Amino acid sequence: MSESDPAVDRFLEGSDAGLTHTAWKRALREDVLLGEACADCGHRSGAPRAACVRCGSRELEPIALPTSGEVITETTIAVPPEGFDGPHTVAIVELDAARIMAGVEESVDIGDSVELVGVLERDDEPGPLFG
Amino acid sequence: MPRASVVGAGMTEFGPHDKTLSELFAEAALPAMADAGVERGDVDALFVGNTLGGTTENDTHLGPKLASHVGLAGVPTQRFEDACATSSNAFKHAVRAVESGPHDVVLVGGVERCTPETGLDTPEMTKAFVSAADRQYEQPAGITFPGVFGLLTKRHMHEYGTTEEQLARVAVKNHANGTLNPRAHFGKETDVESVLDSPLVADPFRLMDCCPFSDGASAVVVASEAFADSFDAPVDVTGIGHATDIVPIADKERLTATHSAREAASQAYEEAEIGADDVDFCELHDCFTGAEVLATEALGFFADGEGGPAAEAGRTELDGEIPINPSGGLKAKGHPIGATGTAQIVELTEQIRGEVGSRQVPEATTGLAHNLGGDTATTLVTVMEART
Repeated sequence: MSESDPAVDRFLEGSDAGLTHTAWKRALREDVLLGEACADCGHRSGAPRAACVRCGSRELEPIALPTSGEVITETTIAVPPEGFDGPHTVAIVELDAARIMAGVEESVDIGDSVELVGVLERDDEPGPLFG
Repeated sequence: MPRASVVGAGMTEFGPHDKTLSELFAEAALPAMADAGVERGDVDALFVGNTLGGTTENDTHLGPKLASHVGLAGVPTQRFEDACATSSNAFKHAVRAVESGPHDVVLVGGVERCTPETGLDTPEMTKAFVSAADRQYEQPAGITFPGVFGLLTKRHMHEYGTTEEQLARVAVKNHANGTLNPRAHFGKETDVESVLDSPLVADPFRLMDCCPFSDGASAVVVASEAFADSFDAPVDVTGIGHATDIVPIADKERLTATHSAREAASQAYEEAEIGADDVDFCELHDCFTGAEVLATEALGFFADGEGGPAAEAGRTELDGEIPINPSGGLKAKGHPIGATGTAQIVELTEQIRGEVGSRQVPEATTGLAHNLGGDTATTLVTVMEART
């Protein structure tokens, strides 16, 4: 493990607890995107897990992700689920090799640069909003 | 390895039904039992798929309820839930159970109600469907299932140049096939212009790129090798593959690959000792037109990037080199979530028996079913062959 990052540590509940969803939510509500980096295969993810989704390693280091990145793919949803007003755009955004699903404020194209602008809140589950 | 066979098949029409889950299931299960010539006492177990009943209708523990309704109270039951791949997983376990010995004859099927007959409108049902996406890292973005496949298909269009017209050709073909299937939800032809002019759902998909919300049920009777010879028209199950992929989709290695389909296909081909070239026809999971293009590549029918041009060139039509979704597929036949997997098995069985009339694929001796669940997270691939 590399040295801990104070910007990440302040959201964690203890040095050995790893990154919980509660910590991930608390950080997102302060405009900090947390994720994990696998010490074994190097995979970077924005969705905390107990083991690396690619290689199964438990050696996951909590990291702060950049708040700006590139649109990998996107769709404009005209028929939304209950609780959302359509149309709205959803994208896969790449943030320094970690990819996450996020809402996007306006229509975007693949390859566009976007940055974190806020948080979508539904049923106490926050989601990142880019623009 | 001993092989299982399908010895009876039945399904309801797909579309709106003002019936309970039990009533719907009986309309598939009792004809399947009659087709096989089995009765209470012959059936060792009931395996059943249902995805949403707990969420949408407050109806769970369906195994004994459905068994009771069709006269099988007392047999062991098992209910399966794997999003849209629900009943093909139930089918897999029925096959494995008769192959490995615990049972000789198993009734297996699926049932689902998704139309406004449930009392739920489109936004409510869309939210129920999206429960299969990651609760913490996908649902908060406002994703839907047309949206999930929209993300995958937009990337495919970006990487390979797949066009909206090519996607529309998938819908046109499946609607044409659906007109030949009396059990299809939609029995009307369409054309490319009508697809492209239909209202947007999640780009690149318009309404006519999307399968409908359907109610329905399907069931088959699976028998062990020792028992199958005593039935009139057994169709052998020669290979099954079952794989999963990473959730959420953002963490997948390649968005356009549908990796679980590739892995499941590889397993099924190996078990059946065949390759993609040996398949005479295929029922695959065309929940959206783009999903069919991705699946035809994942199953090895076409090279990566060639799925769109192949659809446009008519290579997947009923008289093409590899007929895809002769039943009309999810797009036209309909998609009652938990009933879709075994409905594909019903079509494979009836095609291989040569019983489907005007949509019959000539010399259909080897059929393949591809049933996908969630955000391409579960796929089952099944190979069935005529008994020789």
